[in-house]
Amino acid sequence: MNPVNRAWRAAASITFILTLLAVSHSAANADNSQVAQIKTVSGQAEIVRNGARVAARIGDPLYEKDTIDTGGDGSIGITFIDNTVMSSGPNSEIVLEDYKFNSSDFKGSMLTDMNRGTVSMISGDIARSSPGAMKVKTPSAILGVRGTRFVIQVKDNR
Amino acid sequence: MRRIALVLAVLTLASCSSRQSLFVVLPNPDGSSGAVTIEDGQKSVLLDHPYAAGEVRGGVPAPVQVDQAQVQQIFGNALAAQPVLPSHFVLYFERDSDTLTPPSARQYQAVFTDIKRRQVYEVEVIGHTDTLGNPPHNQQLSMSRAMMIRDRLVHDGISPKSISVAGRGQLDLAVKTADQVAEPRNRRVEITVR
Repeated sequence: MNPVNRAWRAAASITFILTLLAVSHSAANADNSQVAQIKTVSGQAEIVRNGARVAARIGDPLYEKDTIDTGGDGSIGITFIDNTVMSSGPNSEIVLEDYKFNSSDFKGSMLTDMNRGTVSMISGDIARSSPGAMKVKTPSAILGVRGTRFVIQVKDNR
Repeated sequence: MRRIALVLAVLTLASCSSRQSLFVVLPNPDGSSGAVTIEDGQKSVLLDHPYAAGEVRGGVPAPVQVDQAQVQQIFGNALAAQPVLPSHFVLYFERDSDTLTPPSARQYQAVFTDIKRRQVYEVEVIGHTDTLGNPPHNQQLSMSRAMMIRDRLVHDGISPKSISVAGRGQLDLAVKTADQVAEPRNRRVEITVR
């Protein structure tokens, strides 16, 4: 094979791989459906999604991996598609790390990272679906939820 | 050198003794409560009654006493931001029909009122049938029951893009029965508003 031909083949295979990556990337995005909706906002509250920061607005959808970030005067309330209800006070950072829910059999799993601040939660269908399905992780411990209302405070010890 | 060691020891002690996190179980509206467990990999603390609380200090979870006033002081802002809780309604239908029974026709207004009291809302409408008739027919019947509710809500001013509709046929019976059994409690539409 001559060098020019070889270069073409290499370029073609790279293009093929990039196309594959693009296709699999868009498939992953299509899979990324709404997991919650913002219901209340007060003061400074922002959503960090794929590294971009936007102001939280009532009615906006939330997706898996979104980070909720409130300022010194901020608070926010959201309701998940399994009817889990969550609200947080000022200076809070919460990551919707993992969220899976099947609306046909009402089963799923969720892991929320509570990094700092205060949060109130009322569990929904996911906590009811199986023991261990709903977990909240703080920097110092993991909370296993068996269907209840509860609150968590994480001190910012940075 | 000794002074640095002393400072380090004091710092370590201070960080050990300060609270890193606090967990409190709150009562349900009926006074009952569920349960949560706090785990750090070695130790596990179970909180299973209203105002049962645990904290983590120096990486170690332990039970702690808190009262209602302390909860309000620490969590007041978070609790005030709580959305209106989701509601669930079941409306029943006449046999092999998408006409509501008279009591359910009256209850429709409660569904509508519940949606309207929310600033933003999502409504899920899922239709069901009993086991009378064949499954394909019942699939269609469950869907037309759900669509009837949806159309009425839209007619009354509820945003169509906030309503999702599904028909489950005879797959999810509220009351388990044999095949070809007329059961009024299975002829229904389940509505979730959140």
